[in-house]
Amino acid sequence: MLTSLVAFATPTFMTPVVLAALVDRVPGIFFGLPLMALASLIFAATHHEDPAEIRFAAIHWAVWLGGILGLVLAAVLLLGWFA
Amino acid sequence: MAHTRDRHDPTPRIVAVSPDDGSAIDLRNPALAALLSWAVPGLGQIYQGRLFKGRLFMGAILGTFLAGMWLGGGKVVYASWKPGDTRWPFVCQAGAGLVALPAVVQSLQLNGVARQPLFGSPFMAPPLVAGQYVSRAYADRLAASDPDIDAEDFFDRPPLRQFRGEQVSHWHRRLGRWFDIGTLYTMLAGMLNVLVVYDAWAGPLGTPTDEDRKSRSDRTT
Repeated sequence: MLTSLVAFATPTFMTPVVLAALVDRVPGIFFGLPLMALASLIFAATHHEDPAEIRFAAIHWAVWLGGILGLVLAAVLLLGWFA
Repeated sequence: MAHTRDRHDPTPRIVAVSPDDGSAIDLRNPALAALLSWAVPGLGQIYQGRLFKGRLFMGAILGTFLAGMWLGGGKVVYASWKPGDTRWPFVCQAGAGLVALPAVVQSLQLNGVARQPLFGSPFMAPPLVAGQYVSRAYADRLAASDPDIDAEDFFDRPPLRQFRGEQVSHWHRRLGRWFDIGTLYTMLAGMLNVLVVYDAWAGPLGTPTDEDRKSRSDRTT
């Protein structure tokens, strides 16, 4: 389904087919990374006005968010290991 | 938020204070700005002259919403309140504004007198449930265009047709994990737009503490 969608939407045939095949192999958890980046960016931009401060705060929030979610993931993996 | 008056212009202005340099941010009409930011993410900030943030919000939130639509095969944004298929994620998706509005229109059309979505298009139309009546034209269009639906999936109930299956099951089977990933992207875009609406209404969240100001001045010296 995804392969046919991508092939229909772009003019070059081979590139979208290759991309879709690669995307299909990516574990679903990695699709959360752009969402982490988005949340960090929006949080930073709604707390600051200056572009430089927004960029700095976005990195700050991304590190915090990644760290907290990473700890949660580690805890879940540990629980799964011992369960 | 604070009200200020200019000696030469007695009209009160609503301003917020920038947490970065303490400058005033003219919010103009905050309610209108908030409504614009809900309707089109970032448009309220652009109305207020905060172009960088407006373009940032517009690109980020609309881009994420559209990415979610694409990942979910165009099926993840729909409005449904039927028992057994109450689409709770739409409550979050609606936060993205007018891009989610077609789902409401399609739902009203499909469940109303017309018994088919607007222009007979399945775009953002809710999935059919077992026993649902639809127009003959929409049933024929689905049978012709949807690979999971045949003409035999409808009972003939003149002047309508009655669906026999559960269309959402077809979507889950065909899209697999992409249905959930697309739903997540569109939901998050809608939820984060709530923060953008607040930013348009009241300016940046929070004010710097003395400790923040001290650490910032230490960084610059």
